[in-house]
Amino acid sequence: MLDRARMKFDPDDASLGAALRGLPAAEAPADLWSSIAGDLSDRRTVARRRGIAVPLAAAAALLAAVLLWLPSRPPVPDAGVAGGTSAATTADAETARLRARSQRIEQWLAALPAASQQDGRNLMATVETEDLIALVDMQLGAARSAEEALPLWRQRVALLEDLAVIRSTPYGLTGDRSLADASTGDVTSL
Amino acid sequence: MSTHSFQIEVPDTVIARARRGEVAAFEQIYRAFERPAYTLALRLTADAELARDVVHDAMLRVFDRVRQFRGDAPFWGWLRQIVLNEALMRLRRGRALTFEDVPDDETLPSDAPAPWLHADTRLLEGALARLPAMTRSVIWLYHVEGYTHVEIAQMTGMTTSFSKSQLARGTARLRQLLQPTAEVAPCLTVPA
Repeated sequence: MLDRARMKFDPDDASLGAALRGLPAAEAPADLWSSIAGDLSDRRTVARRRGIAVPLAAAAALLAAVLLWLPSRPPVPDAGVAGGTSAATTADAETARLRARSQRIEQWLAALPAASQQDGRNLMATVETEDLIALVDMQLGAARSAEEALPLWRQRVALLEDLAVIRSTPYGLTGDRSLADASTGDVTSL
Repeated sequence: MSTHSFQIEVPDTVIARARRGEVAAFEQIYRAFERPAYTLALRLTADAELARDVVHDAMLRVFDRVRQFRGDAPFWGWLRQIVLNEALMRLRRGRALTFEDVPDDETLPSDAPAPWLHADTRLLEGALARLPAMTRSVIWLYHVEGYTHVEIAQMTGMTTSFSKSQLARGTARLRQLLQPTAEVAPCLTVPA
């Protein structure tokens, strides 16, 4: 020891040190290991689940990115008919495209694995978004023309895209940003 | 080496297995250190239940961090530091890190023989447990674990002189606590 206090001889110091070191070691509670081992087992299970869930979520996010990106590419204009299409035909065509896209996202959401379930905050966001989609569906049911339905279909697709992002994120988007960002980078950047 | 010494060598193979997450290797580590770890926790906290919690959480922390152990210092020192940090953190959290605050003139060395020389184990343990947590911790870390005042000051967030004064005051207080109480003779005066 380089401590100066230790360099001075103090009989109190030496004898007290010897007396304390002479005290018997305390016996740890017999059931302490079983308690630690139980918690270790829980931790290993959580770690294993996380080890599976995070790559799954990343794969799901990547798939979502591909699914969401492919149908949203702007349609290639047809040079022959570009000038002559009526507004109604355009609305019909876009509605059909949005309807197809909507179906694709719904199919993808239905196929999401259970491992990518969300935490409490994401669950609330899921419920809210699903309520909004139901509201849009009601308005769509009351729409009298393709022109009237078109903005509603756009809204429905946008809400479904939001839902896909929420559902493919295993951790709270507003909670642990590092995990959320790591698992949803591709989706949120769309 | 005292009976509660942490200075236990752990084979590299066991550490490597623990790093891979083998519970059997971790149990080997726990079994090797359960007594010194629990003794340190108990001496610092003077509370069996709290000491149990300290060792429990410290061992889980060891398990979580064993991959971070670089091996440039002995494993036992690394493990002891985790137990110690956990104990001090618990005392801090419970606002139990009180310290001895007796006047300096009471800390002067006494000519009387040190009472701990003849005190039995139970009395010495009892007196130690009656010291404020910070004072007890300083005494134990200095005398038994061999930490310097500089190291103790760093761990407790106090100054080196504070550590020294706590050692002196705690020693004086132990001396008082271990003094045999003077027997008082019964009053036998006869009324006139």
